[in-house]
Amino acid sequence: MRTTLAVLVVLAVASGAAAGPLDAPGADKAVVCSACHGPGGQSPSNVMPILAGMPSWYLKKAVQDYAAGRRPSPEMEPYAKQVLQLGVDEIAAYFSGQTRQPAAVRPDAAAVERGRAAAAQCVVCHAASGKGDPGKGIPDITGQPQGYLQSQMLLFKADRRSPGDESLKALKAFFRQIADEQIVDLAAYYSSLR
Amino acid sequence: MTRVTRREFLATSGTGLGLLATGCAPALKGDFAPKTGRRVVVIGGGWGGATAAKYVRLADPSVEVVLLEPGRRFVSCPFSNLVLSGVRTIDSLTFGYGGLRKHGVRVLHETATAIEPDARRVRVGEGYLQYDRLIVSPGVEFQTEQVEGLAEAGDQVLHAWKAGPQTVMLAERLRAMPEGGVFVLTVPPVAYRCPPGPYERVCQVAWYLKNAKPRAKLIVLDANQNVVSKTALFRAAWQAYPNLEYRASNKVVKVDPGVRQVTTEFGDTVKYDVVNLIPPQRAGTIAVQADLVSADKRWCEVNHVTYESVKHPNVHVIGDSTIGLPVPKSGNIANAMGKISALAVVRLLNGKEPQALAPGNTCYSWVNDKEAIAVVNAYKIDGGKVVQIEQKLTPGQSAQWGQHALGWAASIWNDMLG
Ligand SMILES: Cc1cc2nc3c(=O)[nH]c(=O)nc-3n(C[C@H](O)[C@H](O)[C@H](O)COP(=O)(O)OP(=O)(O)OC[C@H]3O[C@@H](n4cnc5c(N)ncnc54)[C@H](O)[C@@H]3O)c2cc1C
Ligand code: HEC
Ligand code: HEC
Repeated sequence: MRTTLAVLVVLAVASGAAAGPLDAPGADKAVVCSACHGPGGQSPSNVMPILAGMPSWYLKKAVQDYAAGRRPSPEMEPYAKQVLQLGVDEIAAYFSGQTRQPAAVRPDAAAVERGRAAAAQCVVCHAASGKGDPGKGIPDITGQPQGYLQSQMLLFKADRRSPGDESLKALKAFFRQIADEQIVDLAAYYSSLR
Repeated sequence: MTRVTRREFLATSGTGLGLLATGCAPALKGDFAPKTGRRVVVIGGGWGGATAAKYVRLADPSVEVVLLEPGRRFVSCPFSNLVLSGVRTIDSLTFGYGGLRKHGVRVLHETATAIEPDARRVRVGEGYLQYDRLIVSPGVEFQTEQVEGLAEAGDQVLHAWKAGPQTVMLAERLRAMPEGGVFVLTVPPVAYRCPPGPYERVCQVAWYLKNAKPRAKLIVLDANQNVVSKTALFRAAWQAYPNLEYRASNKVVKVDPGVRQVTTEFGDTVKYDVVNLIPPQRAGTIAVQADLVSADKRWCEVNHVTYESVKHPNVHVIGDSTIGLPVPKSGNIANAMGKISALAVVRLLNGKEPQALAPGNTCYSWVNDKEAIAVVNAYKIDGGKVVQIEQKLTPGQSAQWGQHALGWAASIWNDMLG
């Protein structure tokens, strides 16, 4: 035990370096993302999605959709192209390896309860846990900021997220039947899930 | 990250090196903080420097980091135009350096007075600090001498181009302006800090006047041939402001606060009740004194991957002071350069090849109290140089981009100081 420790110390001195949070593979390639998505992808605002703990398959799909202009976003289209340039696999692996912290803005408790009841309509796809199903291309929507979840549902409703995407036609029709007030509650509920 | 509290403010004057930084401490002499291991010194605790200091610690906690910054508080230039319109307070843009201390950065509230690249020392008054690598992010300095009468005018003519007391003073003058008064805003020739910044300010002043003093007028005298950034978006936003008169190619060369008048290079004179003269700019003074600037004596050329000065080894320059990269002088870019230079410096200290990483940029501009527009730039490294991949603009102005701007600010302030 003692010898192992001594060897470790000697090694550390020899290289002179110490590991910091930025030593995780891919962290260096993701440095521009923190300007909006927060350090380590842990967005501190109600608006920007949290990337920490995002399954890599979904991050990759989102980046590809933005880069191709399928999912319009003046911010993400250029950055998505930058991500593809740098290597999306490494960046996706980095964010999926980060532990997601609760969203900074805590949703209202009454809204969460109303949302819990309304979420019965969503479990068929997003599962009771809200964690989705990678096999069917359904994302994990738990623990995202309420404001972000709300904005995305409203974009689906108005056919402004991935407009014209045939595979999402039914989903958008479904959202058009949900009142905006209930969308607020649903966002509160899924934001509160861990 | 939290805004500065009284407790934190007191704490900053207490421990370790901080003690030496207080006003009542003895003058700094000799090697006042001898190096114990590998050390990076950072000059300037603004957008570039604060980020770089934090990220060196995140990348390798065994590297000692000393940050030199005379200001005790960080005041954000981004969003400071909203202080003029009264939409935000300066307090909501003011933060302490406590977060950096938590990462082990030794923050010294001092001004670097000289750089000695051969001895690898930064002079602070009569004392000095040794470094293995130096990161310089001193922002811009005003070329006061380019405008006749400006130096003598003192506080009678405000720039409000470094957020702080001048921002508050300009807001007060705007409020106190007569009902039918004239506000003159002058835009310097490129290159200057924050290309869209003057035009965002135009929007904020015009929005305020439209609501509070509908008979008043805003005259913009732009040294450039056209709106420098987000041209079509700003011009569309200005449709809402009939009180605004924009004059391109009107470089102001003289100001006379006695008769409240500015003069353009063609000899035209314009009278004002309140003036906001944004002077021409160059790299921060320390960069000029330390011979980090190019032949034009204005800006610093750097390696696009490591940000090492092309003139002095082991000295890296980031932020507004740099030139030659196809990037704007923005806080977002300074933040990105802070991170990339920190990673490069740590790899160089550890004998590794630096990674070829490019910055990214987003500049949101508020066109009224709720709506914003944005420009976004993505880059790559090609043949050792920063090259733009794409630039995109928001399709018009909207409250949605205003919300995104708030999200951006929360994240990036946290990224720098949290
Ligand atoms: C009105 C306005 C609006 C803006 N809006 C935006 C925006 O919306 N988005 C955006 O991205 N950018 C914006 N900017 C631009 C942004 O503020 C700058 O690009 C950014 O501050 C540059 O960072 P920097 O580190 O180079 O300089 P700074 O942030 O200015 O930091 C330089 C620091 O160095 C210190 N210093 C100087 N000399 C010394 C010395 N000798 N020793 C020690 N310390 C020293 C100074 O005290 C200062 O704190 C805006 C600017 C203005 C004026
Ligand atoms: C200028 C701010 C900004 C920067 C920088 C930025 N993003 Fe984004 N990002 C956004 C916004 C805004 C959205 C939501 C857009 C929308 O409505 O679809 C978003 C959405 C995303 C999403 C989709 C999230 C989801 O749940 O569907 C991913 C993935 C993403 N960003 C990855 C990145 C990566 C990786 C980087 C760094 C290379 C990055 N972003 C840099 C602003 C930014
Ligand atoms: C028919 C299956 C289906 C149903 C039902 C469904 N969703 Fe989804 N949802 C999806 C798919 C698929 C996506 C991903 C779309 C994409 O890839 O762009 C998605 C994406 C989302 C997103 C965006 C996530 C992000 O990170 O950007 C939110 C928010 C969301 N769903 C909420 C809900 C809520 C709340 C309900 C119930 C009211 C619901 N969904 C019902 C299939 C479904």
